[in-house]
Amino acid sequence: MGEMIKLGVVLMLVALIAAVALGLVNSQTAPIIAVQQEMAKQEAMSRVALNLVQDGDSPAFDSIAVEGLENPYASADELLSVVRVTNDAHPEGIGFVFVAYGKGYSSTIQTMVAVDSDGIIAGTTILYQSETPGLGANIEQPARLITHLDGLDAPDCMLTKDGGRIDSMTGCTITSRAVVNSIREGLEAMESAGLFDDAGMVGWQVDPPPEQDESIEEAPAASDSTMEETPDVGAVSEGGSL
Amino acid sequence: MSLAKDLSNGIYRENPVFKLALGMCPFLAVTTSVENALGMGAAATFVLVCSNFLVSLFRNLIPSKVRIPCYIVIIATFVTLVDMVMNAYLPDLHKSLGIFIPLIVVNCIILGRAEGFANRNPVLSSLADGIGMGAGFTLAMVILASFRELLGNGTWLNMSVLGQSYSSQPLLIAILSPGAFILLAFILGFFNVLENRKGGGR
Amino acid sequence: MNASLLLSTALAAPEGGGSGFDIGKMMAIIIAAIFVNNFVLSRFLGICPFLGVSKQLDSAIGMGAAVIFVMTLATLGSWAVYHLLLVPMDLAYLKTIAFILIIASLVQFVEMILQKFSPALYRALGIFLPLITTNCAILGVAVLNINEKYSLGYSLVNAIAAGIGFTLALILMAGLRQRLEMADVPPAMKGKPVAFLIAGVMSIAFFGFAGLGG
Repeated sequence: MGEMIKLGVVLMLVALIAAVALGLVNSQTAPIIAVQQEMAKQEAMSRVALNLVQDGDSPAFDSIAVEGLENPYASADELLSVVRVTNDAHPEGIGFVFVAYGKGYSSTIQTMVAVDSDGIIAGTTILYQSETPGLGANIEQPARLITHLDGLDAPDCMLTKDGGRIDSMTGCTITSRAVVNSIREGLEAMESAGLFDDAGMVGWQVDPPPEQDESIEEAPAASDSTMEETPDVGAVSEGGSL
Repeated sequence: MSLAKDLSNGIYRENPVFKLALGMCPFLAVTTSVENALGMGAAATFVLVCSNFLVSLFRNLIPSKVRIPCYIVIIATFVTLVDMVMNAYLPDLHKSLGIFIPLIVVNCIILGRAEGFANRNPVLSSLADGIGMGAGFTLAMVILASFRELLGNGTWLNMSVLGQSYSSQPLLIAILSPGAFILLAFILGFFNVLENRKGGGR
Repeated sequence: MNASLLLSTALAAPEGGGSGFDIGKMMAIIIAAIFVNNFVLSRFLGICPFLGVSKQLDSAIGMGAAVIFVMTLATLGSWAVYHLLLVPMDLAYLKTIAFILIIASLVQFVEMILQKFSPALYRALGIFLPLITTNCAILGVAVLNINEKYSLGYSLVNAIAAGIGFTLALILMAGLRQRLEMADVPPAMKGKPVAFLIAGVMSIAFFGFAGLGG
């Protein structure tokens, strides 16, 4: 019995030292990871929103809560959240950015999409995918599929073989369909929530956004950092810890 | 010198992949590109060297009955460390290695060397063994990854080698999962031929 | 009261985004885990036992049964520890250590129980159990379930299906290798090389399942 206790104590000790060491390292790396994820997100948002703004004009982003916005991504266990894009000339908004989640061949593909106020796609970028290298993973090369999405609206955003206007990548119908359909579902959800107004720039209703103009820029630490944070944190930690 | 022998042992004579057939899962899975192979190799080598060091340092303190759980905790700690550091400083590599970073824990090379070498050898030679085995593992992965990336994508370490016309119609199967099995089969066959030649002389 | 709370946490999707349990998604998970993304042939998990234990059909079946059994228990354990202990205490970064310890102690525990209460089963599975701790398919399925944010129900379905997929690949391989005994293999390719070659061809065959669900 004494032996058992000794062995138990040794094991406990080893585990304790390990846990403390990891706790220390984590306290060092966690903020870096958060900042770097935040920067990656900012960078991606600026990139997809490039076509929404004139040259040299830098857009601002703030997450908005939209009443009646349905979540089309429940099957991927993710939420649809919408970020409003504004610039100096149009403080009321020039478009939106959202992340679409689609079940592909071997991963849930995350695509960031910028749309203008009429619901026309202005830019897309793949945030995460883990599809077959050499086949589905080519979705990362914009010219293969996603640049062709620019300028389309929800009804057209569908593969040719499903009746839309996008040719799928050769041999990668599942991946292509996942991306295209997930974007369309997001657009449709936003449309039925009344975010796109046919009349043009003005007139769509937005819930009064929480007073937090710049909140995303410095959000990583903020605990209630709006619903828009949640999917993305999961996104980047897909492979490992956090 | 015996240190040099410990060091070189893992690279060819007891190469963990080609000779001992250990660590197959990450070996096959991450060799889709040379970049991934190098990243995985570096991560595994780091864990291997650190765990060999600690196991050897405390080899007289750890009671033999609970040694395996202790080794596992030590290895898992370093793996988590690598995971965090890579996530913080090399996020792209972290994303593409994905689930295979936590799985370094169950890479049999690491537990195998802790149990089979560091357990009963002094610190310095355990370190040398860790470096050698890690280098051998990395080298093996780079060899397979070179074939797969070159044939399957026309590139090597993301640099175009075989030209645009090949890259648009590559031998895709090399980079897909069957290609990993089949190319490895031929590499192992090649080593068998080498062995048989050597053996035949006697 | 407490138990019902636990149960409802367990049944709800961890991220709150998911709805209840739907059959379509369950079928998709099953087909993906067994065929499309077969653990051995497409995800490269569990290669060591795949090569080591596939020489005889009997031992392949034994190993497969042991893996399905431990995989299911390990998923249950890791899911509970992750969602009920690590996440509430903000210790999610300890998951790798926690999971591998769960698996190691689980294997030990199962071995002891079997030895005591079912010597027959122990004789059948006994020699495979220690090998399972270092089978990366077990840790792999636990980590994948967390990454995919599956609820407990889906996690268990995924674990069982992954175990079946592993067993399927193992049994097919064992059957082929038994036949191979009588084949005339060039000396250079004898042993491991030809086994990998067979695995490669099987992997091509499994590509044919790509259109299914997925």
